[in-house]
Amino acid sequence: MKTRLIALFAMLLLAITGAGAQTTEADVILGVWETGSGKARVKIDKVGEKYFGKIVWLREPNNEEGKPKVDKNNPDEKMRTTPLLGYRMLKDFNYSGEKTWEDGTIYDPENGSTYSCEITMTDENTLDVRGFIGVSVFGRTDVWKRVQVKKKA
Amino acid sequence: MRSFILVVGMLAGLAAYAQETDTTEVEDYSQYADAELAGDAKRFATQKVLDQSPNKLISIGYDYQSFYFMDLAYFGPPDAQGLIASPERVTNSFNSGLRLAANVPVISRNNIIVNLGGNYWETRYDIENPENVTNPLALSLDRYGLRTMGLSTTIFKPFNEKQVLFVLAQADLNGNYSLADIQSLKYTRYSVFAIYGWKMHDRLMYGFGLARTYRAGEQIILPLFMYNYTFPSRKWGVESIFPARAHLRRTFNPRSMAFFGYELEGQTYHIANRGNEFDQWLPNNADDLELRRGELRIRLMYERSIKDFIWVSVQAGLRYNWRFNLDQGDFYRGFTGDQPYLAENKIGNPLYINFSINLVSP
Repeated sequence: MKTRLIALFAMLLLAITGAGAQTTEADVILGVWETGSGKARVKIDKVGEKYFGKIVWLREPNNEEGKPKVDKNNPDEKMRTTPLLGYRMLKDFNYSGEKTWEDGTIYDPENGSTYSCEITMTDENTLDVRGFIGVSVFGRTDVWKRVQVKKKA
Repeated sequence: MRSFILVVGMLAGLAAYAQETDTTEVEDYSQYADAELAGDAKRFATQKVLDQSPNKLISIGYDYQSFYFMDLAYFGPPDAQGLIASPERVTNSFNSGLRLAANVPVISRNNIIVNLGGNYWETRYDIENPENVTNPLALSLDRYGLRTMGLSTTIFKPFNEKQVLFVLAQADLNGNYSLADIQSLKYTRYSVFAIYGWKMHDRLMYGFGLARTYRAGEQIILPLFMYNYTFPSRKWGVESIFPARAHLRRTFNPRSMAFFGYELEGQTYHIANRGNEFDQWLPNNADDLELRRGELRIRLMYERSIKDFIWVSVQAGLRYNWRFNLDQGDFYRGFTGDQPYLAENKIGNPLYINFSINLVSP
């Protein structure tokens, strides 16, 4: 009985630590990233097993009337009053190994289009974010850089 | 043992709950304003200004010009009295033809974008009563039309957040060949342009450059001025690479926009003596003809997304003839050269329409 208990405990420990290692590798994407144009910063979070990214900073947060920018180009009329700050522009990414997150979508608020998307981490501070239409060849890669947020005193 | 399993079970349950919990919460976004790029990262300018029309990855189009007269110069031997015949007036009922193009990014990074492209354009002629026409150029156009096939590469290289370089190199095969019997590659014509520019802010980019081009119908070297600007209201904008093209843009929304302006189009076309049309007029040298065709398209254009990334583009306007002359051989005449043309033709300026369906780039 004692031997079986130790074996069970060992298996559980292995499963937990194994899962932990997988989670750690996938979670390196978590953090705040600046888009290639430098117009926005996106915070990537994990919800369940999937990864999402929301806009947390805009270089120009207000529209020409001085009001906070909203998602005015969204093809869905109901969404056009949604503030861009806090908007989830990356959705539903799964980690597929080899520093790649796929099966997600990216939304471009500048034209209201949603593209298929794959993210590859080329180094700890750099993401290749490739939005594409149908197949990857019809796409464009934007390189995002990690930003270090300064802690408030 | 029971209590051990209970604890493990509770821990597993808590973990699962945590993973399903929506982490959305009110967040202080001001904390993200004070941040700096990690490592030795550098920012680069993007290649477009706000609201600029989207790049077309694939385009399938059709071009149609209405009827016009052509006064085609005589270039045959003089008659017994040494006189040269007057130009012959022929009527072209219409021009029509497919316009296919693809332009796909093969390298797409913040610090460089390289696109490879290919295009196929055709122009068919429909000369009225060709049995009564003697001008061999008219007969050749009526029978074979004109074709262009080309390959191109476009490079966009930003050096930092402000300074950028655009380079385009293109190789075209233009002539009256058929797809079953494509003309020799020795008639490939090369064009290239480079523009060095500045992106002053998200709504303004301008630059200066040089082009070696056949757009006006024959080889010329031109200075270029690029000016892409979106007004603060974001309803209007300008997209231009002067003098090749310039358009005033009205943006209804990012999926619907109209343009008014012009584009200079043209090429030099190798005209082969395919059906011996030129034998009587040029008995000794009928194999080295170049048709210098350059035209200005003054137009209204409307482009919109019909579904996601599928856009339609409709344009209508005046096709103004700039040049439609024949030379023997391809050579550089430039603005100051005084080499005479073999035939200086005058053709009318019809209305035209163009329709295309396009897959646009992210």
